[in-house]
Amino acid sequence: DNPVLDKLLPKHKIKVLEKLSTKLPLKVTANLISDEGYWERCCRERWSICDTSEHGGSWKSLFFERHLENIIERFIPEATDPMQVANVIPFCQGYVKRLRINQLLPPVKEPSITNEEEGSDTGSDDGIDEPTLDHFDFGFITTRLSLLEELHVIYGVKGCGMNFEWNLFQFTKRDCVSLANAVKACKTLKVFRLQRSKVDDEKVRIIISSLLDHPSLVELDLSHNLIGDRGARAVGKLINRSKLEKVNLWDNKIRAPGAQAIAHALSRNDRLTSLNLRLNRIGDEGGEAVGNALLINSTLVDLHLGSNELTEPTALTLSQVLGLNRTIKRINLCCNRIGP
Amino acid sequence: LFASLLYRLLQEEDEAEMGPSVESTDPQDRINARRTRIATRIEAKRREALGEDPNAVKEVKEDLSKSRKQIEDSRQRLTKLQRDGTELVSNIQVAGDSREAQRRIEQEEARRQRTEKMENEAKASQEKFEDITRKWMTTNTMQIPQDFRDLLNMQQQQCAFLIEEKNKLISDLQKHLFSLLFKELKLGDDRYVKDLKKQGEDISLMIERMEEQIKTLSRSYHEELLQIERSFELERHDLMESNDKQWEQMMQARRDQELDYLITRMKRVEEQEMQLEELRTVDAEEYNIIKIKLETDVQILEQQLQQMKATYQLNQEKLEYNFQVLKKRDEENTITKSQQKRKITRQQDVLNNLKIKLAKQEKQYREDNQALTDDYKRITEKYKDLQRKMRHFAAVDSSNFRDIWLMNEEEVKMLVRKALEADRIIHEQQLGMPWKMPVLWFMDNVGPIIPEHKKKRTAVEVAKEVIISEKNCVRKDASLGNKQALQVLTHQTPRTTVKRLLEILCDESGFLIESKLLKLLLPLERDEQSLMKLDSIFAALGIENEDDVFKLANFFIKYKRQQDASLQWCCWRCWSIVPSIFFSTDHRIDAQEAAVDSKEKTDLQSEKGSRLPASSKLAHADLVHPNDVLKALRAFVSEYHKSSFREKHQQTKLDLEERDDSDDTAYWDAMANAIPVSKLKVWDALKTALEKYYYVLTERLKLLTQTDSLKQQNLELRMLLHQYINSKMTAELEIPPTHVFQQTFNES
Repeated sequence: DNPVLDKLLPKHKIKVLEKLSTKLPLKVTANLISDEGYWERCCRERWSICDTSEHGGSWKSLFFERHLENIIERFIPEATDPMQVANVIPFCQGYVKRLRINQLLPPVKEPSITNEEEGSDTGSDDGIDEPTLDHFDFGFITTRLSLLEELHVIYGVKGCGMNFEWNLFQFTKRDCVSLANAVKACKTLKVFRLQRSKVDDEKVRIIISSLLDHPSLVELDLSHNLIGDRGARAVGKLINRSKLEKVNLWDNKIRAPGAQAIAHALSRNDRLTSLNLRLNRIGDEGGEAVGNALLINSTLVDLHLGSNELTEPTALTLSQVLGLNRTIKRINLCCNRIGP
Repeated sequence: LFASLLYRLLQEEDEAEMGPSVESTDPQDRINARRTRIATRIEAKRREALGEDPNAVKEVKEDLSKSRKQIEDSRQRLTKLQRDGTELVSNIQVAGDSREAQRRIEQEEARRQRTEKMENEAKASQEKFEDITRKWMTTNTMQIPQDFRDLLNMQQQQCAFLIEEKNKLISDLQKHLFSLLFKELKLGDDRYVKDLKKQGEDISLMIERMEEQIKTLSRSYHEELLQIERSFELERHDLMESNDKQWEQMMQARRDQELDYLITRMKRVEEQEMQLEELRTVDAEEYNIIKIKLETDVQILEQQLQQMKATYQLNQEKLEYNFQVLKKRDEENTITKSQQKRKITRQQDVLNNLKIKLAKQEKQYREDNQALTDDYKRITEKYKDLQRKMRHFAAVDSSNFRDIWLMNEEEVKMLVRKALEADRIIHEQQLGMPWKMPVLWFMDNVGPIIPEHKKKRTAVEVAKEVIISEKNCVRKDASLGNKQALQVLTHQTPRTTVKRLLEILCDESGFLIESKLLKLLLPLERDEQSLMKLDSIFAALGIENEDDVFKLANFFIKYKRQQDASLQWCCWRCWSIVPSIFFSTDHRIDAQEAAVDSKEKTDLQSEKGSRLPASSKLAHADLVHPNDVLKALRAFVSEYHKSSFREKHQQTKLDLEERDDSDDTAYWDAMANAIPVSKLKVWDALKTALEKYYYVLTERLKLLTQTDSLKQQNLELRMLLHQYINSKMTAELEIPPTHVFQQTFNES
């Protein structure tokens, strides 16, 4: 709390900062030191690879963002003390803008019991998970981090190796609800990514219902999930009820009806610039619907329809689009059987 | 179900492996590649847009855009290279994608086949089952038990067959499924491993390609750069050469031109020299002529100069003389100036001294003045004190005087009364004559006597007198005081005017009288009424004695006169200003009247009386107009109050001073001579007679005393005798003394 450092002469200040140990507790240094050099030393000491370009060019925010990410990634529900996170947040909240959480650990349970339960449950209902398998609750963080703009979440375990079990990769309904509430509470959020998390139609609908009319969300990424036509319909609804400019839905299970719903939304939208539907199976019906929507839409710049079982009819409509639409810059149609 | 589960497992495994690999390698590369592609495309477009026009223009112009062309070429080559590289890189990702898509399609197909098979089987069994159930229905209609049994058996057989078939199918399917599952599992594993391998290869290939591309790109960049540099150098060289050539040409041209200029210059110099020569000859001739002329001029001017010099000499002398004089004067002036200065300084000193003195004096005088004023104040204070004292003493003296006077008077009066009593007694008792009281005016007087004429009558009395006297016509008062008063009155104003005035007053200033009084006065006579009214009016106006009345009268008259005078003056002015032609009749009449008035007034003054009826009439006219009375009264009251105040103040003093004792002796003498001399003579005669009488009486008294003593003696003797007689001795005596006495008494 004593701002002696700011009162020093510049050369003295440099000297003092060079001498400062990187092991000092964050509680002391977080708000006191703003020098990038010190934080660069801290980062380089902790992590071998550091790239400030992904953290707004600031070493300090890099340090705090990764610090918080590490804490959350290692958080085990019911085993780790929630205060561990709560203690860090007061220092972090001024510097954290992006959170890229690449793994979320499930609560530790006796593996045998879970296995048995899993086995017994599969017969009756394999969709409903045990409530005990819930992950970290983001609502705890998002309400406190007032500057948070990007949130990337993957409900899964990284590097499990031979200890692989299916329940390590569960995204429960309660997780979904808590995440939805957390995202809704975070009014500054601009980019939201939920990848590789087995998000099915139900969960997508829950999340999107909470994202409706979000004041700042610009980019939504739901790639590598299990989103079907109903989920796609929900996304189509969201496109026209938010400020979304970029939507990524690649590697999902969207078929023609879902693509038609999205195309319908696209035809009324004047905000969306990028749409990625790669690795879905929208077929010619969906492709034609999207092409017809592009005849009306005048904001979309980038469209990816790769690997979608598209054939000649879609190509025809798209050739029409290219003749009339002035705004579209890129259409990717790789891995389709468009014909000669 | 198990199969589907397994299938899902496989799929998910695949996906779990595929996702990251696709994501980790592909997106970044692809994004990068795309980015570069986009960038290059945009750049190319921009270049095209920008560079095309200049290119065209420059090609037309010169061959200077060689370097630019080179740059453009190299850029195009590079972008092509880049695009090819990115295509190569992205191709891997596309291939991965297509593989994945292919796999999905295959799986879907397999699943579809499986479900179809199961559905077919289910349909067939369903048909059989329906067949059996239909037969069950027919059993209800059966009547013959044998038939029924046959049918039952058949049904049983069929059911068994169905079940068997089903079981066979299940076992077949199971077998098939297991084998398929194993196969698929193996296949899936293989594929997974293959995929992994493939992806690893892909990634390594991609990295290789990227590195290669980077290498090739950097190399080509280097080359292009070198080429561009070379082209720039070449261009520069060309430029230099061309410029050198140009320079040489220009220099040559300049040299030639200079030679030309030189030649022309020489020619011109020669020509101009010729011209100069000509000009010189002409100018020399002209010079000679002008020289002669000028010489003559010089001679004339020299003569003039001599003359001027002479005059100059003269003037110089004069001026010198003047200068001397002036110098002297100046000296004198300086002397006088210094003297004056000295004097001024001296005067200044004196002035300063005087000023100081003056200040001192002023100061002193101020002080003196202060002291004197203080003194004056003190003295005035003293004086006032003294005056007060004096007044006090005077009052005391007067009171003393009065007391003494009264005392003395009392005494004297007592004496006189005594004397008169004595006189009366003398007359009545001694002389036996009737006594008559002599007339003694002084006996009524009490206090110091005041001369009659100074006594002032009250205003009301005057008014009364005036009114009554008027009523009684010219009856003159007998008393001296009245006469005097009247004389005074008539001396100032005619009686009639006064009366008239009073009447006017009475009529006009009714407001001064109380209404109650007016009511009371109603039954009285007119004169009395007016008298009472006047009384109250005088009281209201503060008029006390006759002087005030006359003052009032005089004031009124004066007032009127003033008004007249002003009027007259007005008229006069009019007269003087306006010529007689324009003189209006009214004015004339006014003026005439005024003139007559003034004249009459003088007459009145001179005539001292009220005998002329005409004059009275004139007085009427002369008096204040009833309308003006109030104004006049107001003026009078204001003036009168001013003066009356002063007068009253002085009056006390006057009273004291003006007391004269001329009449005192007479008064006292009168007192002393209360008994006339003739009476004294009588008294003297009476005295002598009385003295004689007294003498006789004393004689008688003496005799009386003698007789008395003798009587006494006689009595005593008788007593003794009696004692003697009555005593025992006597009784013893032969002859009692009583006898003796009787005898003697008888004898005597």
